[in-house]
Amino acid sequence: MSLLSIEQLTKEYDGIRALDRVSLKVEGGSIKGLIGPNGAGKSTLFHLISGVEKPDSGKILFKKRDITNMESHERSALGIGRTFQTVQVWGNMTVVENVMAGMHRRLKGSLFSYGLWLPWIRTSEKEALKEAKEILNSLGLLGKWESTASQLPYGKQKLLELGRALAMKPQLLLLDEPASGLTLSEIEQLSERISEMRQKGVTVFIVEHHMGMVMEVADEIAVLHNGELIAEGKPENVRRNSVVMEAYLTRGSAGK
Amino acid sequence: MSSQPAKGAQKEFRKRDLFYLVPLWVLSLIAPDPYLYHKKEFKRKDLYYLGAIGLAPLTWSDPHFHHVMVLAGIYAILALGLSLFMGYAGQISLGHAAFFGIGAYTTAILTTRHGFSPFVALWASVLSASAVAYLIGRPILKLKGYFLALATLGFGEIFLVMVRESTDLTGGVIGIFGIPWFSVAGFSFDTYLKQYYLIWGVVAGLFIFSKNLVRSKLGRALLAVAASEDAASSVGINVPRIKLEIFVLGAAFAGLAGSLFACIMSTANPETFGLGVTVPIVMMVILGGMGTIYGPVAGAILLTWLMDILSRYQEYSLPIYSIILILLLIFFPDGIGTRLNVRILYLIGYWAKKRKRDEGKL
Repeated sequence: MSLLSIEQLTKEYDGIRALDRVSLKVEGGSIKGLIGPNGAGKSTLFHLISGVEKPDSGKILFKKRDITNMESHERSALGIGRTFQTVQVWGNMTVVENVMAGMHRRLKGSLFSYGLWLPWIRTSEKEALKEAKEILNSLGLLGKWESTASQLPYGKQKLLELGRALAMKPQLLLLDEPASGLTLSEIEQLSERISEMRQKGVTVFIVEHHMGMVMEVADEIAVLHNGELIAEGKPENVRRNSVVMEAYLTRGSAGK
Repeated sequence: MSSQPAKGAQKEFRKRDLFYLVPLWVLSLIAPDPYLYHKKEFKRKDLYYLGAIGLAPLTWSDPHFHHVMVLAGIYAILALGLSLFMGYAGQISLGHAAFFGIGAYTTAILTTRHGFSPFVALWASVLSASAVAYLIGRPILKLKGYFLALATLGFGEIFLVMVRESTDLTGGVIGIFGIPWFSVAGFSFDTYLKQYYLIWGVVAGLFIFSKNLVRSKLGRALLAVAASEDAASSVGINVPRIKLEIFVLGAAFAGLAGSLFACIMSTANPETFGLGVTVPIVMMVILGGMGTIYGPVAGAILLTWLMDILSRYQEYSLPIYSIILILLLIFFPDGIGTRLNVRILYLIGYWAKKRKRDEGKL
């Protein structure tokens, strides 16, 4: 069955339809790509799924539960992780703390148990540190675990953001343009990491401009254009689809 | 490493400058760099600080020193609570003195009118301050930045007006007198020395509590909220709740400080709980260094001493005080205790550049 299903989602900004009755399904364990020209409504769709904004009409179901009106942090608690289009690591913390903060939901305890540093807090914090270091190791960031996150170069910050999302142990991971601003070798490294996630059983939903990368990693691709879903299917089929070709070729006039 | 001047500045460097460097370098060994992960753990250094605080009044037996340090300790408690809210969660509160006042008045009323012991009144003060903080915080904490600052400022002023006007309950402008010494199980803290140990014992306890909070999941969540609320909620941090929790905790600290203050000064009157307290506490947090736990304590000691020393200059004390504060903020914008290594390198560069500029002009 599908992990995430979106039904007839519509969102308007001041009379402009950013999304027009979009229906999508993301199967569990797969990697799904979402592409489309600028202003197609990709980011809007992501904001609606992660709960930054609420839709005007339509429904979002995650694991058969209606999450349409849930707060952002409740959705994350259900197992939806995300990264941001413009990288949003916490620059006031060290690299390892960024990852450990990603485990927020998995660490239990009240304010007082933390303040008094009770024995079980001690062990859980130790384990969190160990696990965070393992995640950093798998991303090749372990050498910088103690430096401030804001000191990392842009590409590494993007990786760190991915690591933070992974620390949540999400079931669905939303990646918003993970390759933007990265060098070619960094993009390669990133797509390796994304392919690894499939083996770990994480479902990935990815918005991307970089066509090559999406075509490479995704099992299925959906194409948005002017807020409407114009094509969906296997990468090679989508690539040959005439409607998609047209949408991309006329993208200069599409916004008008 | 920091005793070596920067490469470009080497030629312009005079021997005399090394004398400035030595104390700064020593300070930099003591001062923690808050960004390093392992620096958030407890160290042997903390024991030295504790020892110094414990031994200081025995070697320096001047009662005036004890009294100033008692006041510094009370400010330190206030600043600690505010620093969690300001320095870590990145919010602003200009109404913190109101919670201080609520604590003091609760103790004053309970002990003088209803005959409760100060120890019971202490807990009642903590509870009442945090209860008020909860009620105020729920609507107010949705605001951000300047709006939050104004709303909390307004709350502080409303509290003052209420205290001045409700004469029956609070004694109006005159206040309440004759609050008994703080006592636990028959042991009364009636000398400055005893009060010193009482207050600094409490500060030490709250310091350990705060430091534990800061190095745990909660501290990370607070810093996350300060840096980006969107990202914080994307990993499942309940942003409004954690803000409220830390606001209430800060108010509880302030209530505790207020209760102890009332017992030590044996009076409670509205003049003590206005902007005249709020602004110094905020200054202590900023000057001590936002986002550290040592900072507010160091800031509290420094500013309390500064005010005390300057008070002998009478009407000139405030101008001198403000000039010193401005200079400290210019040269230590991250706070006096924060990242001294960076500060030293900056100063070296500054002197070198200045010398170059002066020579160029001549």
